[in-house]
Amino acid sequence: MPEKKNNHKFINWVTAVNKKYAIGIPLILLVVSTVIFFSLQTNIFEPGTISRLTNSNFRTWLPVLLLTMGQGLVLIGGGLDLSNGSIVSVGNVVLALYITSADEPWHNLAIVALVIAFGLAAGFLNGFLTVYLGLQPVIVTFATSFIYAGLALLLLPTPGGAIPRDYTNFYRNTQYLGVPFSLLLLFFLLLLWGIFRHRKYGRFLYAVGGNPKAAYTTGVPVTWVKISTYVLSGLLASFGAISYSLLTGSGFSGSGADMMLPSITGAIIGGISFSGGSGSLVGAVFGGIILGNIRRIISIARIDSWAVTLVNALVIVFALAAPGAINLLRRKK
Amino acid sequence: MENISLKTTEIQKRFGGVRALINGTIEVRSGEVLALVGSNGSGKSTLAKIITGVLAHDDGHIIYRDEPVQFPNPMVAQKAGIMAVYQDLSLVPSLTVAENIWLANEPLTNMGFLNSRMMISKTNEYLALFENTFQATLHPEAYVSTLPPDEKQIVEILKAVSRDPNVIIFDEATASLDSNQVNCLFNLIKKLKQEDKALVFISHRMDEIFRIADRAVVLRNGITVGDAIISETSEEAIVKMMIGSETIFENGITTFIDTRDAELALVLDNVENSRLSGVSFSVKKGELVGIGGLRGQGQSTLLHTLFGNLPYDGQINLFGQPIQFKHPKDAMRENIAFIPGDRAAEGLLLIRSILENFHLPSWRKYAKPFLNIKKAKTDAKKVSDQLSLVMESLESPVSNLSGGNAQKVVIGKWLLRNPRLLLLDDPTKGVDVGTKAEFYHLLRELTNAGTTILFFTSDDQELLDLCPRVLVMQDGRIKADLSGERLTETNLVSASMGAHETEKKQEVLEHA
Repeated sequence: MPEKKNNHKFINWVTAVNKKYAIGIPLILLVVSTVIFFSLQTNIFEPGTISRLTNSNFRTWLPVLLLTMGQGLVLIGGGLDLSNGSIVSVGNVVLALYITSADEPWHNLAIVALVIAFGLAAGFLNGFLTVYLGLQPVIVTFATSFIYAGLALLLLPTPGGAIPRDYTNFYRNTQYLGVPFSLLLLFFLLLLWGIFRHRKYGRFLYAVGGNPKAAYTTGVPVTWVKISTYVLSGLLASFGAISYSLLTGSGFSGSGADMMLPSITGAIIGGISFSGGSGSLVGAVFGGIILGNIRRIISIARIDSWAVTLVNALVIVFALAAPGAINLLRRKK
Repeated sequence: MENISLKTTEIQKRFGGVRALINGTIEVRSGEVLALVGSNGSGKSTLAKIITGVLAHDDGHIIYRDEPVQFPNPMVAQKAGIMAVYQDLSLVPSLTVAENIWLANEPLTNMGFLNSRMMISKTNEYLALFENTFQATLHPEAYVSTLPPDEKQIVEILKAVSRDPNVIIFDEATASLDSNQVNCLFNLIKKLKQEDKALVFISHRMDEIFRIADRAVVLRNGITVGDAIISETSEEAIVKMMIGSETIFENGITTFIDTRDAELALVLDNVENSRLSGVSFSVKKGELVGIGGLRGQGQSTLLHTLFGNLPYDGQINLFGQPIQFKHPKDAMRENIAFIPGDRAAEGLLLIRSILENFHLPSWRKYAKPFLNIKKAKTDAKKVSDQLSLVMESLESPVSNLSGGNAQKVVIGKWLLRNPRLLLLDDPTKGVDVGTKAEFYHLLRELTNAGTTILFFTSDDQELLDLCPRVLVMQDGRIKADLSGERLTETNLVSASMGAHETEKKQEVLEHA
């Protein structure tokens, strides 16, 4: 009998953890998709294969994963950022145009700082328009995404520019203790998230997303918390631009256009809801990795690439339809 | 006497064209419980929200501890030591009990991290104040979304108290509590009083005011009309202050046809759902029955239920036939019309023309097989004349109309269908006096023509002037069925406040 009780306790604990961090299903999906991906590799048992694949996967996914984290923050705070992809485009174009050879580190650092500053400013503009002027985040960020995308096109009408090999090689091949640089950066950012999650800022973020009016009456600085999510999303998008440029080594004004949709889908798969106030960035990163695995599996299985977009779109439709469907079922009852 | 902790003078507040507060003047001393009394819409909650910085006032002064203050947001008011227990609660449902209680007031470790252990143990200490009055599901780590209303209210109270403020406003804090929980709250209030806090207690329940308050300030239509020391006054005296003597409408103009011998139009037997508990009454054909009581006691729910908008258990008979509506269209087929309270959201297509709005429920009637626009127009013209609608033309959009005229369009679109039963959900909100009079005239004409009307309004005066019979609701029940001589303002107000009979009051006073 006591065994049964313990078992019950364990289930309760799992349910509690799952509810608190909303991580259960994403974790299962992550494990399943990773196992499928690796089992599809023919030479999986050769030494170094797993490490090589991990490196190549994460350096490719890092830009989108960074965007997913930013999107996750905005969604938890009850907003939505459709402009993060365009911020990547601007950053990528600027880096490709103005980064010179590795002999001029100070000049290049200044360009990187400029890209980061642009990300922060663009995020602040999004936040300012949605929060201060009380406009719909979907409309605002959709509109600003065209402004940023237009700026990228203005700066670089045709693909071109180059990032010095010294830099791209560093990004592509650096490993510490067998762990690729891109994965280390992710761990570092998630650690930062964990710290802020357990400070006042984390509590405020979830309160603002859960019920902004109640949070306001309780004395939470709702305006600043909301703006901060957009600013952080812009910052992470500029990081995304830097990593994307290091990955490809060249500039293209439409580089971020394909990243916005997966950033939403990843966050949703990771347990963050459109209504805000739930989920976590750990889940969002899991969701992003799951999407990356799916993309790889689809390409290995020689299915056309439109399937990837289809998966993205279906996830969003389901996420949007779920609350309505649940209400409908309740009403029928 | 003791020093004044908080004082407001001549506070004014407008919402659009509505004057919610015209002269909000109160003063509350340290170590005192001040009751703020007034009927629906008298401005009590508005005043509370202005004091705590949730709303900004248009005019007037707040003096706190001898200094003039103006709180731009609740954060500043909280820092200054002013907290409120809000009527519409200020809880985040997706956070736990402990997280809500300590929101924006979190205990931190030296490193600046949230100290959850301390948060939980302190929450348990505060929950002990209401020991044995709630279920085991209320614990520090329970999510607020899973709690029933009374336990949410307890969390809201503890959240305010945990900040150790100097001034606490309890806005209808007892409305969803049972008697044991109220006793716990009152013990807490007594303790806070001994600690020299200044307390403002807003309640609709007279017996509670007489149990706990030291003084009472009465608001009527946004104006402070008087105050009284509780030990020197009576329930009757306070009710009289709330009512006043002025009436905007002429009295005793109720000339209705005799419905004593008419057939039964509507019979409800023990109708129940989430907000209604055992509603039974019957209405005769051509009767105009008012539904009164405080706001949110189930009046709207009752009307929505009758219109097939909400599921229910129990028996409803319409003109002798048992009915079971599953959807508003079933009710429409039986010629029932529903006029919603929130006309902008539920009743009108604001940017479309008056004509289109008129015909929305009855297009089918004109589509045989092609739309007969000409006939539709003449009918619409007839109705707009009947309503004496002030408009440019039938083609102009509804958004151009004034509030009263827009409301007429909502009624007009149903009149085209000649309803047998008309359900009105607070239709005169924000309608000017002149239009109201026309509206009353229209309702009387309709009843004379045999239409049965159920009319909910939160304005007591309107019930008295218009309806020969009034059902008073409280907590989803019909509390009183008043008509003839028994339909007086005093009876109406005391039934909706749940005021007790005289013997009971004495009992309470002896206990105190």
